[in-house]
Amino acid sequence: MDEAEREARRKRREEWAAGTLARQTAVMDDLAARAASPLMWAAVRRQARSYLRHLATWQRAKGYSGIDALMDAQMSRLQEWEAQADAHLAAAGEGERRDAESRLGLRLAVMGKGGAGKTVISSTLSRLLARRGRNVLVADLDVNPGLVYSIGLGAADVSIPVEALEENEGAAYGWQLREGLLPREVVERHTVPGPDGVRVTGLGKIGEVDKSSAKRTVVAAVQVLLGFGEPEWDVIADLEAGPTTPFERYHAFSDDVIVVVGPAWRSAMTARRLLPMVGEGRSTTIVANRFRDEPDHPGLAPHVRIPFDAEVAEAERRGLSPLDECPHSPTIKAIEQVVDLFISQSRLDMEVRV
Amino acid sequence: MRIAICGKGGSGKSMISGALARSLARRGHTVVAVDADPNPNLGISLGVPRETVETMKPILNALLDAGHTHNDPKPLAEDLLDHYGVDAPDGIRLVATGKIERPSDACLCCGSHNTTRQFFGELADDDRVVVADLEAGLNDLIWAKPGANDVVLAVSEGSEKSVEIARRAVVVAGELGVTRIIGVANRAVSADDAARVADQLGTAEFFTVPEDPAVEHADQLGVAPMDADPASPAMVAVSELADLIVKQ
Repeated sequence: MDEAEREARRKRREEWAAGTLARQTAVMDDLAARAASPLMWAAVRRQARSYLRHLATWQRAKGYSGIDALMDAQMSRLQEWEAQADAHLAAAGEGERRDAESRLGLRLAVMGKGGAGKTVISSTLSRLLARRGRNVLVADLDVNPGLVYSIGLGAADVSIPVEALEENEGAAYGWQLREGLLPREVVERHTVPGPDGVRVTGLGKIGEVDKSSAKRTVVAAVQVLLGFGEPEWDVIADLEAGPTTPFERYHAFSDDVIVVVGPAWRSAMTARRLLPMVGEGRSTTIVANRFRDEPDHPGLAPHVRIPFDAEVAEAERRGLSPLDECPHSPTIKAIEQVVDLFISQSRLDMEVRV
Repeated sequence: MRIAICGKGGSGKSMISGALARSLARRGHTVVAVDADPNPNLGISLGVPRETVETMKPILNALLDAGHTHNDPKPLAEDLLDHYGVDAPDGIRLVATGKIERPSDACLCCGSHNTTRQFFGELADDDRVVVADLEAGLNDLIWAKPGANDVVLAVSEGSEKSVEIARRAVVVAGELGVTRIIGVANRAVSADDAARVADQLGTAEFFTVPEDPAVEHADQLGVAPMDADPASPAMVAVSELADLIVKQ
């Protein structure tokens, strides 16, 4: 690649990034226009903070230095929204504010080594949250097939459909979310209904050397998760095995991260490598999976332990949902504990962590 | 000969890569083991001390540390092997292509994946065996780009998800022009279990590695199953797999 070509490419990427800032504004305007309650103002504040956190990573990475002034201006606008939301929440009073914040849904990403159990945990957790009356969006952020089986959708295609996408030369894989489509509209119109009312979405899958159907969904999926600000929705993402997608910040939307660790030494090594990838003050919860009587890994004391479970292994062998096949198994009981851990945690904690 | 090992995360790629490399080395082959996973851990299965596995510098990271940029001449794969490889048991040379250490805004196209492609592509294969343990999933197989003269092992344990990924790996390897694709049922609990995997993968050559508590125990300790119990059922099976691969 010669210098002129590199320069042209940089320009296209910066144009894409500038467009992304405009899309952030559209999301904020949409939320703020509906903000007639402390709950919606809490949503406005969280969305502004989420975008601010993301923009800070862009500024650190210096990938878009040609639009520094635009990014600074965007950060000021987001801080204004945040301040506006603060003022509304303060005016509502302490009790109302706490109530609003406690009703904000989870923003949770699940990471770990391959085979650790990320997918069984993500899909079961999503369904259990839905059974407690919550709205849940679960995203399969892996270009290899998996989550559909564990959630009970068989071999369904849940990828963001092409009508919700558009080509863009500056976007990382040449495609992004279609212009004019808000992330919440994607969730309403272009996600797949799963068991227990969970909405399911995800990346396209690699099935051949030409991996364009997988690649074109990547940027859009990140845009949807990062810009889905609806307050009373839990959003859970199941990341691809290992450190590659955390490196690429597929978990940019998240406030909390679960790192799943198995009994193998290399599973612990992977978890230790993942911890510094979590980043930006997110909370990290360690879930130990498939332990028999092995000791905990040093430095990775689990918050929840899921025991080895032959019934779950059998459901996985058959490509079925463990929650349907063995609802009373120890695994499901342990994942209920994960649910309790997250929904009992005061959302006020987020102020410190984010 | 070059052998690329792929499959779902947790299917046993690294265990099989490590034991296969050791078996081939003990048969007198010169073996280069390539850890193409950005979460490098093949050294464990080869019998490299855990501390070395944790601290060894992969090629990409070493080049970046040395201030190498894309404007500099591309180093030769042979030189990289000399400089950045580490010695593993039975005379094996182990090299890792890249390791992710902190989050970034970038993608890996110019990094670890590309290093894997260049490295796998350039290592001459006439009088030695290159065993490449790929990153979990299908993406790295496309990056490594094995060809007609290479061997691909599509490894699967018994879960439907794992079989589906291995099945796709067989398709991808076929599209790349690989003529020798061997399906491997790992951790098979029964003949029926293995037969189901064989049926779904549909490869001309197929091999079964049984479930083996000795491997699980070695994994838990972070040592090579080949050192912990070379006579265990899984290790005996991988030795037979080595024979199958080189017999032609």
